[in-house]
Amino acid sequence: MLGNQIQGGLGTPGALSHAYVQHPPLRCDIPDIRGLFYDDANKFLIAPTADRILYWKTTLSTPSGPPNSDPVNEGPVLSVRYSLDHKAIGIQRSRHEIEFRNRETGETCSKKCRADSETILGFFWTDCPTCDVILVKTSGLDLLAYEPQSHAFHLVESKKFNVSWYLYTHESRLILLASGMQCTMFTGYQFSAGGIVKIPKFEMMMSKSEANNKPVLAADDVHIVTVYGRIYCLQLDRVSMSLNLYRFYRDAVVQQCTLPTYSSRIAVSAVDNIIMVHQIDAKVVILYDVSLDSYAPVSAPLPLLVRGLPINSRQVSQTADSQSSAYGGTIYGEGWNFLIPDLICDAENGLLWKLHLDLEAIAASSSDAPSILEFLQRRKSDPSMVKTLCLAIVRTIILERRSVPTVAKAMDIVLDSYTRLMKMGGAFPGVRRTHEQNQQSGSQPNEGSHVVSQESSPGTAVRPDVNPDQASGAVNVSVQSNSGVEHAIDSISSDSADNRSDVVDKRHQAVGEASRPLSSGTLTQHGQHAGTVAISPIEMFQSVFTLVEDEMMGDPAYLIAVITEFLRSVSKSGLKAPHNLYVMMATLLARSNRYAEIALFVSNKILEPCKELAMQLMELGLQHPPTRKLGMDMLRERGLHHDYVTAMLQEGYYLEALRYARKYKVITVQPALFLEKAVAKNSAHNLAAVLSFFCEFTPSFKTTSDFGRYRHILSEMV
Amino acid sequence: MGLSSAAAGDGTQLCVFDLRRGQQEGQELDKILFFHPADCPILLQLSVIGLCEGIVTFTRIFSPEEDCEVIESEKHSHVFYQAETDIWMVLVVEKNKENELAWRCNALHGILKEAHSLFAMFHGPIRTLLDRQPSAELARGHLRTFITDYLSDFNVGKKLQFPTYRDSLKERGTVQMLTVSREVALDVQSLTTVLGSCLGNVTCQSLVLFEDLLVSTTLPPDDTLNLYTYAVLRLTPRALYANASSWSYLRKGTSVSAGPTSSSSNGTTAGERPLLRDNLSKGKDGFVAADFAATEARGAVPLTPILWFQQAEERMYLCIYQHKSLTILLLVPASSLINGEEGIAHVKKQMLENASQKIVTVEQKLTRGWGGENAYHVSGYRYLLVDPERRISRASPPGKVTTLAKDSLLALNMLRQEVDLEKSRYKRGDPCHDKDFEACIRTKNNAWVIAKISRGRELYMALEKGGETLLYASTAVEKFSNRYCEGAFSTD
Repeated sequence: MLGNQIQGGLGTPGALSHAYVQHPPLRCDIPDIRGLFYDDANKFLIAPTADRILYWKTTLSTPSGPPNSDPVNEGPVLSVRYSLDHKAIGIQRSRHEIEFRNRETGETCSKKCRADSETILGFFWTDCPTCDVILVKTSGLDLLAYEPQSHAFHLVESKKFNVSWYLYTHESRLILLASGMQCTMFTGYQFSAGGIVKIPKFEMMMSKSEANNKPVLAADDVHIVTVYGRIYCLQLDRVSMSLNLYRFYRDAVVQQCTLPTYSSRIAVSAVDNIIMVHQIDAKVVILYDVSLDSYAPVSAPLPLLVRGLPINSRQVSQTADSQSSAYGGTIYGEGWNFLIPDLICDAENGLLWKLHLDLEAIAASSSDAPSILEFLQRRKSDPSMVKTLCLAIVRTIILERRSVPTVAKAMDIVLDSYTRLMKMGGAFPGVRRTHEQNQQSGSQPNEGSHVVSQESSPGTAVRPDVNPDQASGAVNVSVQSNSGVEHAIDSISSDSADNRSDVVDKRHQAVGEASRPLSSGTLTQHGQHAGTVAISPIEMFQSVFTLVEDEMMGDPAYLIAVITEFLRSVSKSGLKAPHNLYVMMATLLARSNRYAEIALFVSNKILEPCKELAMQLMELGLQHPPTRKLGMDMLRERGLHHDYVTAMLQEGYYLEALRYARKYKVITVQPALFLEKAVAKNSAHNLAAVLSFFCEFTPSFKTTSDFGRYRHILSEMV
Repeated sequence: MGLSSAAAGDGTQLCVFDLRRGQQEGQELDKILFFHPADCPILLQLSVIGLCEGIVTFTRIFSPEEDCEVIESEKHSHVFYQAETDIWMVLVVEKNKENELAWRCNALHGILKEAHSLFAMFHGPIRTLLDRQPSAELARGHLRTFITDYLSDFNVGKKLQFPTYRDSLKERGTVQMLTVSREVALDVQSLTTVLGSCLGNVTCQSLVLFEDLLVSTTLPPDDTLNLYTYAVLRLTPRALYANASSWSYLRKGTSVSAGPTSSSSNGTTAGERPLLRDNLSKGKDGFVAADFAATEARGAVPLTPILWFQQAEERMYLCIYQHKSLTILLLVPASSLINGEEGIAHVKKQMLENASQKIVTVEQKLTRGWGGENAYHVSGYRYLLVDPERRISRASPPGKVTTLAKDSLLALNMLRQEVDLEKSRYKRGDPCHDKDFEACIRTKNNAWVIAKISRGRELYMALEKGGETLLYASTAVEKFSNRYCEGAFSTD
């Protein structure tokens, strides 16, 4: 059935894509609602009706079912934001008024501005220690503190300057305020739990089309994006059709690069620390991983797919159009609004989608195994998938007999990642847990809200943060200490060092410490899944080496070289290799008749001494006595007395074995075994010696049947 | 003049002969494949070889399985070695009062064995040469140059100086290993992998040496030993840059004494005279090769020698690369290299491209961990550790051994002679069962000389200025064993 193909969405062969949304979406097309708003601080999708506010918690794994609701006064709604502790709701009623409602008592109060000289652009709640709500007005910022008892606000500070429009994301805690003729001059503040940081003024680049035509930068063309705990800003230059990427530091804003675009409209999402740039006109998405400051796309531009659509036998092909009709909307349609960080709200159809990366497809799209492994190890969204993919990649490159240095590099990456993640997990377990809790529950206790809709056309537009015409409000937040959202701030000078672990370390240093990159709260996710993405040496052994061993029988030398490189990586990372890997290596060497190298590897400890290996050497040594000797020596050196005595006996060194047994008090080996050897030697002399030894060594020996039997044998020999 | 007359003076003779040749009356001369000194009168040569042949034949009556090893006469010792079936090498050394106790038969035996092993590595078995050219011109030519070059190392003044009691804490025919940490060992192994892949599909073998010590090998023990011996004799930095003064005055005479031979009369190549000192030098590319500028070059490109590895059963090209103290011997299977020198050039290029970085790193790490000449000195002990099975030994540094009194060394030499006898006696009885053995002897000068064999491994030591009880001696051994031999010689 043709329809079957559609069902698979991204996973279907032939439907190439690296990002997808999962069907079914959250349906929020409730009648009577007057638009949809998004509160990015709490990740609430909010739909006001005439006298109520309905909201869905989008962070729940399955945000479905009926929304929660709050009664409110009637009136127009320009934006809604819940306080960060969820105790109050801020509702922007007009360009001059914001109403705050205490959810417990139902008390309300209003904050108004002078109608003649200024308008309210918006507001948001903050976890900054000195204030709770930030009010953004055309004349500047008002920092307000909230007093829950009296349900009142008082002005803490006013910052005066002209604002054309602004941009704020709770994730970054960063507000950008545009001013100037072309709206390219920016003032920025970061309102974080660590305090307020003023970003130096900067100007964004705008190409000129004609001599006297000066384009004005629109809020829609600027996007704040937070990945790896760093804050970036993407600015679309419509004239040159390019995208400028800036990175924020405490003391500077630095343009990193210019990315190409294929659309006059773009949207930006961040999924699992990957920046997704949606080329809306072209209906494709380009992925960037800026972790190592590389700005090359992860893969070619590919369409966004809908996964898991129900079977529809009438569907003939799986083009974007047919997918659209299957779910009843258009991919990258007019009604799509991109919510921070990874949601899409189809306001026309009342649907909420969550963006996902198709790691499998991305992994399959490149043959550069080391860099794909690096990429995968940085992902957090689907740890078990990451792990499975990584193991499969390592297996594949071994089976394909890629050059040993390539395989070595790949294994290095896997183990480096393992050590790093273990270190992070092990060093700050308590802290990590705190972050996790915040991550899971952090969105619930607090409020703050964001615009999502246009008054004029309810139920259509969900807008990102900024709306020059409308306002979104700012309010406050009770300061949550250690909320996993501290914003460490670095200077450019230490930029190179800001890999993830660094960032984590830094967060434990004073938050306000200067000279660090401006970072935001997203990094909380790190460590959360650390234990599951990481691949331990034992897993490498079980899921790679044991599985490829059979297929590599034709070329043991290659596998030996690979294992050597693996041992090198393991040792470099300060880890321990599983003993069975040594057994495997010794076996492979013996099979290739490379006994001399076994001896070399044992003597320089490339094969570390252990019982498993010792036993295997004894076994392999049946064909090669010197190797057997290596095994016996290893037993002795490891102090495995019982096994050593048994081995000596097997070799026929029963007198030596006796001496050894006496010295190390080995009583677990049966006397009969020694006696039997002496009998086999047909030496009455030796048999008598062994008998008398046991009489002395084990007092109870005289009472055993062995004693009687062998004494009889001895008497017959003499 | 030259080597021959110098050597003749001390009455030392070394001959190689083939019992299958010259069995007809009047053709006895045909048996002789090599005789040193070369200017020895033919009649004397014939009489020496006649005597040796007679002894070999006679002793076979009593001992058909085991070869005659040595004949001691009043004035001479004859040391026998059957190098290949019916091809014998005999070393005759003259006795005098001064050196009566000086030699150990096994040490002399080791020289013959080493000479033959090296010869076979470069030229193949003598028998093969004889079969290829029954007139024996080829074999005689190679033997003459090769053994003469080999013996040059034993020249002291005008005499051939063979190992004496002073060398009783040395074991010829063993490899000395460098002890490295696991981390470095893994780095070296990683380098070995890269070296192995220089040819693409076929694996190249390699030996890595640091100074005069072996770091890693992929060859079986016997082949490793031969190549290692050659490397230490001629290739390591110390061997390469040591212009042995004892040799230089003879340089001129070498080709004369070697004489014109049918195959190599038109000059020599590295392949034909691998042991000729000054023949080799390190080039700008880091590879060590025959230096034709120094000899009578005919505009020829230096040829890469092809070596025969008996245990690996393969002929391989030998490329020598040197970086500071690190010497890498890369062996390229001859059968896999169709286009000869051109292929070698390609392999060398590959090696430089892929391995240079690793070579530099490994050299640095080894240098950092290198304890110098006296790295393996254990204070208070003068020792020799031998693992005959793996052909490995380790000993007190020569500089420390020289501090021993003559009496201690003589006693140790005697003891070793005894142990050698004991070993061969026991080996005849039960070849696959190791016999443990221990002897501690108090010498005239109140030193202890000790020999201990445990599970096939041998430990010899001399302790001077120690306590006088046997307990002292055995405790000293126990301590040494636990500390440096992982308990291999500890008393059970």
